[in-house]
Amino acid sequence: MSATPVAAAAAPAVPRLGRPGLVVIGLFTLCLLAAFGTMGLGAVRVPQPHAIEALFGHGTPDQVRTIRDYELPRILIAFLVGIGLGVSGGVIQGLTRNALAAPDTIGVVKGAALGAVILLLAYPRAALSYLPLAAFVGGIAAMAVVYLVAFRHGGTTPVRLVLVGVAVSAFCESVIRYVMLHEAKGIGQALVWLSGSLASIDMQSVYQILPWIGVLTPLLALFVYKLDVMGLGDDMAAGLGVPVEWTRRITLVIAVLLASACVSVAGSIIFVSLISPQIARRLVGSRHGLLLPAAGAIGSLILLVSDAIGRGADAPIELPAGMVAAIIGAPYFVYLLMRKL
Amino acid sequence: MSAVPAAGAGAASAALARRIRAAAAFAAFTALALGGFVWSVSIGPEHIGFWTIVQGTFVQGHSTGQLIVHIIRLPRALLAVLCGGAFAVAGAVMQSVTRNPLGAPEILGVTWGAAVVAAIATTIVPSLAGVNAVWLSFAGGGAAALLVYGIARYGRGGMSPARLALAGYTITLVLWGLVQGILIAFTQDSDKFFFWLVGGVTTAEWRQVHAAYPWLVGGFLLALLLARPLNVLALGDDVARGLGQNIGRTRFLALVCVVLLTGAAVGVAGPIAFVGLIVPHIVRKFVGNNHLVALPLSMIVGAALVLYADIVARHLDSHVEMPCGVVVAPIGSALFIYLARREKVVA
Repeated sequence: MSATPVAAAAAPAVPRLGRPGLVVIGLFTLCLLAAFGTMGLGAVRVPQPHAIEALFGHGTPDQVRTIRDYELPRILIAFLVGIGLGVSGGVIQGLTRNALAAPDTIGVVKGAALGAVILLLAYPRAALSYLPLAAFVGGIAAMAVVYLVAFRHGGTTPVRLVLVGVAVSAFCESVIRYVMLHEAKGIGQALVWLSGSLASIDMQSVYQILPWIGVLTPLLALFVYKLDVMGLGDDMAAGLGVPVEWTRRITLVIAVLLASACVSVAGSIIFVSLISPQIARRLVGSRHGLLLPAAGAIGSLILLVSDAIGRGADAPIELPAGMVAAIIGAPYFVYLLMRKL
Repeated sequence: MSAVPAAGAGAASAALARRIRAAAAFAAFTALALGGFVWSVSIGPEHIGFWTIVQGTFVQGHSTGQLIVHIIRLPRALLAVLCGGAFAVAGAVMQSVTRNPLGAPEILGVTWGAAVVAAIATTIVPSLAGVNAVWLSFAGGGAAALLVYGIARYGRGGMSPARLALAGYTITLVLWGLVQGILIAFTQDSDKFFFWLVGGVTTAEWRQVHAAYPWLVGGFLLALLLARPLNVLALGDDVARGLGQNIGRTRFLALVCVVLLTGAAVGVAGPIAFVGLIVPHIVRKFVGNNHLVALPLSMIVGAALVLYADIVARHLDSHVEMPCGVVVAPIGSALFIYLARREKVVA
């Protein structure tokens, strides 16, 4: 951390690419490497140099089809969902100034899953394109409940927020189970989806989520400086001319939208949105302009690796990426609990 | 001089009032549980009169009604009583030992540890199916409990209720992830198994009652033996040590008791979540913290809760019989939310 605030203020208008910037670029390079490197690891194995060739249309028709129709959509989804979850977690942690807050700990993920399950099982004939909307309604409702309940004596504390989040998640989970038992025919399918599996992903899902990530993430870029200033405290930020309440509301809604869109295509993937911003903060510091891209890249990296393990570890059986990510992520969360709480 | 006897009389009458309150609570909840038992046995597709129920309960008759009562309905009600009591007493012991209103076995991962091992036993390693399912539940539940307790205990700054709850939640998430993976890998039984995972007594048979009750009775007896040491322990570690108690032994026996009760109950009824969280809070409202009274009453209240939850679950849906975990969980999570809001837990 060579860049002190003073140095940053004295820097020329065109920002120099410092060490943190290089780290972000390095992380995205790693993502690309992981994306290409894990290609061809699925049930139909395509050995490595051929996998990349097949992506560009060279190779046997079987290889080309395996890579283009089965592997490519999954890798793209892992990449996009990872970005969405990482960025969303980064924004929420910054807004609440709370290391433990993330879409999964404050109830957004389970709420979104509940919304989607109700749509999937109770109205099976509803168009699949409504899925992100249902997930969003569920996610924002759960978050609103958590906030209202945790709000006491003019504010909330980090621990109360997370405990209430855990409790509301447990409630959503129990309703999900009720709906699943009620519509027992769809249990198997719903379970696969709920556990964060990327197994049934096709290009359709990629097109479904791409606009959300593609629009919302750049939108957040407009707010990074306001978020930085708000990190100094609400009073200071208001004094510096930032509309605090308005910024908080709009960025929170964007973050919840991002997380819900991710949940709606990939199921409830937990811990990714909690851990990625934490690691990113260690690597690039807490300026949102660098933190959010880094968090997104780390989220992608975690999901790409988790999905590759899920595809390849026990082929042809698919382990859900969300499950692998949870098992990778839980030790880090435990470490946080032991150190920080 | 005159104030002292008056104070003594006041204390005596307060003690008397407490006893009357406790006796009234016992009588009321026992009546509630008995009523629930009879109600539970009486409902079903075949209408059965009250006397047939009594006859079918105590003697193995030959009429259709008596046979239905004896073979189908009685084990279900009995299992509800046994498992409800077991989860409730385990919760009471655990909340007391951890000095933590959130310290219930389902929050500390004991139930899920037991469930995961049971899941692995029935799917991945069928050769383990020969081993008594109850033993496997003990192993899984014990391991999960130790893990969660260790995480919460050896962190920086020692144990706090919130840390214990969050550590339990994390381990529960990981275990639930494992269970989902297993369910997906072995899809042919997944809906049946999912049913079991919600926790309930819908598929009860005498076989399950026989498999569980020795362990459960052992666990109940151990809990009752622990009532006095737990009362002393509640005064604080230092006081308990000063009064000559072996604290380590009390804690260890309490853990054994919890694992016995939870493991055996999960082994036969699945993880009926939140009974162990809810019941001790209800009981404390009525009789306070004296374990000699609170533990037996927890057993009765737990039995009543699961009996009635099972009755409600049977009426929820006209074409599927829901497991009673579906009814208990929303109540439990609402209570959890209420507790999480209180300053005491967070501080």
